[in-house]
Amino acid sequence: MNAVLSHSLILSKSVLILLSVLIIVRCLRSLLSERYEAEVWAWLQLGKEQLPVTHWENLIGRSRSADIRVDRDGVSRAHAVLVRSGKGVWTVYDIFSKGGVWVNRIKISPHGAEVHSGDVINVGGTNLRFRDMTTEKRRQLEDKRTAAGKRVSPFGTLLELSVFQIFLLLQHALCSTDNLAMIALAFAALLALEWLCYSSMRLLGRSGFEIETLAFYLSSLGLSVAASSVPEDLLKQMLLTIAGVVLFLLMGWWLRSLRRVTAARGLAAAAALALLAVNVVFSEEVMGARNWLSIGGYSFQPSEFVKVLYLYVGASTLDRLYRKQNLFVFMAFSAVCVIALALIGDFGTALVFFVCFLVISFLRSGSIATVLLALTGAGMAGFLAVTVKPHIARRFAAWGHVWEDIYGAGYQQARAMSAAAAGGLFGKGAGSGWLKNIVAADTDMVFAVVCEEQGLIIAICMVLAVMALAFFAVRSARYGRSAWYAIAACGAMAMLLTQTALNVFGTMDLLPFTGVTFPFVSRGGSSLLSCWMLMAFLKGSDTRKDASFVVNPVRVLPGDTAKEAGA
Amino acid sequence: MKRITHRAFSLLLLAALIVAGLALYTIRYVDDGRDWALSFARANSGSGGALTDRSGRLLASFDAVENRYAEDAATRTACYAVTGDYWGRSGTGALTCFWDDMHNYSLLTGTTHSEAVDLQLTVDAALCRTAYEALGGRKGAVMVMDYKTGEVLCMVSAPSVDPLDTGEPPEGAYLNRCLTSSFTPGSVFKLVTAAAAIETVPDMDARLFTCEGETEIAGVRIVCAGEHGTQTFEQALANSCNVAFAEIAVKVGQENMIAHARSYGLLDRHDLDGIPSVAGSYPLDFIGDPELAWSGIGQSTDLVNPYAMLRFVAAVANGGKLAEPHLIAGRSGPFTRLVEEDTADRLAAMMNYNVASHYDGAYNFPGLNLSAKTGTAELGDGSSHAWFVGFLADEEHPYAFVVLVENGGGGLYAAGPVANAVLQQAVR
Repeated sequence: MNAVLSHSLILSKSVLILLSVLIIVRCLRSLLSERYEAEVWAWLQLGKEQLPVTHWENLIGRSRSADIRVDRDGVSRAHAVLVRSGKGVWTVYDIFSKGGVWVNRIKISPHGAEVHSGDVINVGGTNLRFRDMTTEKRRQLEDKRTAAGKRVSPFGTLLELSVFQIFLLLQHALCSTDNLAMIALAFAALLALEWLCYSSMRLLGRSGFEIETLAFYLSSLGLSVAASSVPEDLLKQMLLTIAGVVLFLLMGWWLRSLRRVTAARGLAAAAALALLAVNVVFSEEVMGARNWLSIGGYSFQPSEFVKVLYLYVGASTLDRLYRKQNLFVFMAFSAVCVIALALIGDFGTALVFFVCFLVISFLRSGSIATVLLALTGAGMAGFLAVTVKPHIARRFAAWGHVWEDIYGAGYQQARAMSAAAAGGLFGKGAGSGWLKNIVAADTDMVFAVVCEEQGLIIAICMVLAVMALAFFAVRSARYGRSAWYAIAACGAMAMLLTQTALNVFGTMDLLPFTGVTFPFVSRGGSSLLSCWMLMAFLKGSDTRKDASFVVNPVRVLPGDTAKEAGA
Repeated sequence: MKRITHRAFSLLLLAALIVAGLALYTIRYVDDGRDWALSFARANSGSGGALTDRSGRLLASFDAVENRYAEDAATRTACYAVTGDYWGRSGTGALTCFWDDMHNYSLLTGTTHSEAVDLQLTVDAALCRTAYEALGGRKGAVMVMDYKTGEVLCMVSAPSVDPLDTGEPPEGAYLNRCLTSSFTPGSVFKLVTAAAAIETVPDMDARLFTCEGETEIAGVRIVCAGEHGTQTFEQALANSCNVAFAEIAVKVGQENMIAHARSYGLLDRHDLDGIPSVAGSYPLDFIGDPELAWSGIGQSTDLVNPYAMLRFVAAVANGGKLAEPHLIAGRSGPFTRLVEEDTADRLAAMMNYNVASHYDGAYNFPGLNLSAKTGTAELGDGSSHAWFVGFLADEEHPYAFVVLVENGGGGLYAAGPVANAVLQQAVR
């Protein structure tokens, strides 16, 4: 290698690391420093006090954790739920309170009662006067909120990402000239895709782009891995990324209407079960698991799409949560999903579902006891799986001992750890590794491939990017309009975090090797598509002003126009 | 909503677990990254490396694709004790023990900038071949080193194996007898007893020893190989007289014997550039005079490792100072005093006298200024190990050597010609 080439390689490596860190830092900074201001939808007057109603679903009660806290005698800790429909109609529900709920002195039915501006809601003897707000007033309030992207410009972050991608391409060119045209085309397409995505968002008046930027950051690493391991499949990978973004937009559009979302939950549950049933019956066994389904020459993993449907079914609105207090149906549904996955032999995905189930059921019930119960049940089921399925037992036996059997049970991990260590902190350069030649390196061991080719720092940035997405979910859950969006976003990130942990630590022998994919980076169509769809859930909970295309702006809510027209 | 969003922080628990996992991985990475990277070093370092002998002759070379050894089977077989193989079947081969030295690894860059290192060894492949051929199919060990510099010129263990041969190897072929075996020393141990006597018994040179073919110590008969009559200390060593050395060992005493055998390094493990050798042994519990006599003659439960013996002889040859032996060229080991200078010089002179007066030096070792000691270690089953250890008192060719032929018979007759063949080639 001549000196110019090696210097360019060092330059490109430094730039890539610098930009990786910058991109993550900018996204986290935007997360920490942006003002997340609550939207105000109405007021409840309590004596002389004006209590803002900040969500579409609000818990009224004496508890500190109530959204509208009424600390008076006769009010239960969790007393009533005040809900706004997508059409702008408000309903109050009694959630098994001791004191009961009256609207304009009429005791409400178990199906709740509509409330309109000026109505008096009596909760356990305390009067709350409900004041809806005019569109004009809401507009004024909305104008005072800070729009997303004011502190940390999304344009700047995307620009950094673009430079990152160009240098990544440059590194491919420096390290090998094979398939260069194809690789350049793929990177150009990715650049075009993200800028197209960004400009459409801007045209729609939306300025929150952190989630997409992080997803595109991970995608570009995934593209680099694919370019290195299967350049002949690069076009397919690129087309899948485009398809993923299209699905993301479609899904986001679908999630805009909460009414539409909740109406289709039954359908989603049916679809999930049907997909799993088809999978159990028709799939072929590949390496111990039967998680692939082949239709007309195209093979895909149904479980990846079941993930999306599972979240869709598992998330719930607040009123529903409080009115149907048990988790029984959801638990049964989860059990069917996990058992089906166990039958298929997809232990890793079953685990991902299970952790997601834990997070969702905790979010829904707040009960640690439920979680512990579920953990115990799963522990026994897991023990059964280990004793019954030989390929799972083998992986457990090899766990922690991969170096003792580098030609047998520890074959993949020993090589992954070796190649990862050989990459050092800065990596050997795109396409210069050897681990990619090992079976399933670009899916199950992709963390090690990135360690080898891009170095430990970028590989850690890759994990941090997924964690940053999770922080977004937690942060914006606080201001979500409906519990459905908050639960769906957190559930989605629980899945992706679990996948990340299983992928990274399975490869590095800190956990048994389960063969799940790393979000966006692992090669594989189904996984990529489902990851993009999960991002739509995340966008659904982002209520910063003008941040997300999934969230209708306050100024032009269709419900209001309908009401105004009616009035 | 507030309730749910509070619960959302449970997600951070998952994130915290990932951070903890990454931290644990990073710690392991810092600790073991080197071992991990070098475990598949050939795959990790794109460039290849080579192992050569002192004259640059290729012993083994490799790149990402292929492993290679020396071209001819004779060299591959003779040098197997030195090189070992890529599979680590011999735990003491250079390809196993020096693997790390042949690859660059750093925590920061991994093996990225690793041009695999060509490692030159101090051994002479041709000399190894000569030694292996001289052993003529017998089991044994041959080592030659430069006692001025510490360079090991020859290290051969037989039987050996051609690493490219896929057939069943002879038993013990993966064992390097020079380093990882200890043997009953027989009379070569008299060098140790003599050195201990010079240092602990006054007036050794004034003493006379009478041999009538056998003697009795505390009622136990000690038999000698001959009837040597009255002899000086020097003559007793040259005669390798058991009667005289039984008397000397008893005079030195067990404690002194142990102390000196230990200080000469015969009871310790050593290493050759990190390749470990095994310790020898000498009776440490109280044994009484008759057994002490036998142990001073090199029988009893004495065991000596050939490499440890070479170190002792090399120190004697070099005025008592040992040039630490090494196998990797370009390194120069430290010098350590193993034997008092006077003792070493005296013993060296006696060994020189051995060859001139008793081993028929001019005939058996023509042209060599040889100082040596034979050993015929009786094994109790009628057979005996043949030892021949010594050095050339030759400024140009300062070589110390040890030759062992397992169950070979008489030291001079079985091991002597091997030493001669190797030394003749070495001085050429």
